Amino acid sequence: MFKQNKFTVSHAPFWHDGDSIKEMNLNIMAAALPATLFGIIQFGMAALGVVCLSIASAMAWEALFCVAAKRPIVIHDYNAAVIGMLFGMMLPATLPWWAVITGTFVCIVIGQQIFGGIGGNPFNPTLIGMAITSLSWQHLFDFNTALVNYQLTFTALDPLAALKHQGASVVAMFPTSSLLMGKQIGAIGSIFAAGLIAGGIYLIIRGYIRWEITLSYIAGIVVTAWIFNITDPVKYATPMFHLLTGYTLLGAFFLANETSSSPVNLIPMIIYGVIGGCLTILIRNIGAYPDGTIYAILFINLINPLIDKIRPKAFGTIRPKNSGKECKQCVK
Amino acid sequence: MIKRSFIGLTEPKLKCDLVEPGPKEPEAIPIPPRLILLLNEPLDSTKETLVKKGDMVNKGERIFLYKESKEYVAAPVSGTITTVAPFTGDFGELATYLVVETNAKQDIHKSFTESISIPDIQTADSYLRGIAGNPPLKLLAEAADGAKSNGINIKKIIISGIDQDILCTTRQFALTRFRDELSKAVAFLKQLTGISDISIVMPDALAKLSAFNGMNIVKISSDYVDSLSPMLMDKYLGISFVPGKTCEELGLCFISVEALFSLVKSYSQKEPVYEKIITIIDKKGKKSRVSATIGTPIHRIFTKIGVETAEKDRIIIGGPLRGVAAYTLYYPVTPDMDTLMVQDSSVIPTISDYPCINCGKCVRICPTNVPVNVLVRYLEANLYQDAADSYDLFSCIECGLCSYVCSAKIPIFQYIRLGKHELNKIELEMIKEAENV
Ligand code: SF4
Ligand code: SF4
Repeated sequence: MFKQNKFTVSHAPFWHDGDSIKEMNLNIMAAALPATLFGIIQFGMAALGVVCLSIASAMAWEALFCVAAKRPIVIHDYNAAVIGMLFGMMLPATLPWWAVITGTFVCIVIGQQIFGGIGGNPFNPTLIGMAITSLSWQHLFDFNTALVNYQLTFTALDPLAALKHQGASVVAMFPTSSLLMGKQIGAIGSIFAAGLIAGGIYLIIRGYIRWEITLSYIAGIVVTAWIFNITDPVKYATPMFHLLTGYTLLGAFFLANETSSSPVNLIPMIIYGVIGGCLTILIRNIGAYPDGTIYAILFINLINPLIDKIRPKAFGTIRPKNSGKECKQCVK
Repeated sequence: MIKRSFIGLTEPKLKCDLVEPGPKEPEAIPIPPRLILLLNEPLDSTKETLVKKGDMVNKGERIFLYKESKEYVAAPVSGTITTVAPFTGDFGELATYLVVETNAKQDIHKSFTESISIPDIQTADSYLRGIAGNPPLKLLAEAADGAKSNGINIKKIIISGIDQDILCTTRQFALTRFRDELSKAVAFLKQLTGISDISIVMPDALAKLSAFNGMNIVKISSDYVDSLSPMLMDKYLGISFVPGKTCEELGLCFISVEALFSLVKSYSQKEPVYEKIITIIDKKGKKSRVSATIGTPIHRIFTKIGVETAEKDRIIIGGPLRGVAAYTLYYPVTPDMDTLMVQDSSVIPTISDYPCINCGKCVRICPTNVPVNVLVRYLEANLYQDAADSYDLFSCIECGLCSYVCSAKIPIFQYIRLGKHELNKIELEMIKEAENV
């Protein structure tokens, strides 16, 4: 039409709040850092190796898969890095390198890329990786045997395994303060409860995770564990013990919140979280596994599409206030 | 640009700007040597046009494209038509543009002056379409004439002193500028339309001015979405919004304060008003106001008031959340152009081709509970009908907030507008076909 000038033409809105996937992922990694660093200090170079290898291999798998599938390589959004980091945090420091690499392959390729990549995964990719690797090499994930060579100054027992075998009497061996300060045996990034809580609260304040899911997951844990505990205090541990051991906090703040496998509407988020927490305790207390977090969250991932259908009525679809009548309150 | 705050626990609340206290008079932009007029009717190459290159027009003279045309554009100046050519709108709709070369001598076309002794909506519609502020004359005239009303029955007129985007202040300016004559204007509007239920909406803060005592005032908060017509109607006027229906179909007609005063002045001065007030926002966010003749290419305005534009900048007609980008500085001032904004190339946010990661920010911020995260998947797949049937496409009031916060930077808002546009087009085609049978 008119003489052309080179102006940028695109569509409204012309503003953006400046947030991005990369920003979100960097914040998640920063929030996970205290707990990870603590684990590295506790378990030494081996732990550092596992975490680094996990992050690096996850990114490499994503890049490789993208090349193979002729998709653009997007590892700079740190999506794979977050998956790798969380996977690394869930591992024992002694896990051999080949298991780490296989695990991240499962996370990235089977957990996410075959569903179309970021945003397409129905399950938390990290947990897909964890579930498959821990089932395949169960002995590598027994924290008591895996960490037998460490000289530690506190009770060197996996609290959840001890609970499973010896009943609630073991709770006395793990005072809350030592659990909070990471004096327990477990995965690299799961032992430092205080660090995980701090990171989680940071993410909630920044708005990068949905606090509704976190809180209802924790509520599910506490209430279910409390019910078990009052019915049989000899057999079942206290809610606090469950909260601070195993993968509970990692699950509550980092795993159950994974964006594409969790709901976004309020009521579904609460249902999702409560069921997750409840199931975690059920598996721990009456199921076969010492820690139920992984399966519990995978299960709620599965029902997420169903429950996220419950949503508020959209504007104008509710009831006509005045169906055709004159308006009442317009003139003041 | 308002960025996400460090604390992201709650979604951001955007506030609409208020007009500054004691605003200056707009700077008058001289009538340019050449004006560009847009006419809402496509050119048909098989027919001979009524208006031709070289035709002389007087100020206020109506230009029709063909003999049987119903649409017209009035010449804002006296001059010679030098171009008649096709023009494509934002969604590919076809229209026509004309270039008028301004004459040294300005004559007023007589037909309007002669026919205005008594205000009457049909004559107003026949002569005053496209005056500054673009009063909805066609709508009012058709609704008043039962045969053409298409079921539209306007029961209430809302004089709008609020703007439709967060940085815009033109309507508020007009409200404060003309506040002392407002009651007379309302009486005029009653006489013109025969509709006596008239209210004035304005921001809370302005309603305190004593000039408005005793008028039908609806006070609106300055929270961003409250000012958008459907929300305003539902929340403040007690008329339920119905998805897929416009406010007009629900019996409401909006007219901006500026449009109302253009009407009043056109009658009192016996000459249509084509001087449009526009708020200009430069790259630094500084606002100034001009009054420019409709048809003035916008570069004239920028040069006159010293607003710089460079390659790759963005020129926005309207506000930052709902506006339209202009691709050329020759874009003309249109009757409803309230705001012009220049955005520096360095701050233009990018969009991406990421899929939705289901972060849920859009769902939290959407004022109308549209399940944007699901909707966007359907729109991306061009499944517009499903989007409308099951995912509340038509509940959307087009505020743009979902795109503003989207972590994946998906152009959701554009998908939504396009989806609605496509569905409306299909509906229109079906109606047409039904009529032809
Ligand atoms: S533009 Fe987006 S946020 Fe605004 S009403 Fe529509 S769907 Fe909701
Ligand atoms: S804000 Fe964007 S990425 Fe997040 S859920 Fe909405 S559409 Fe998806």
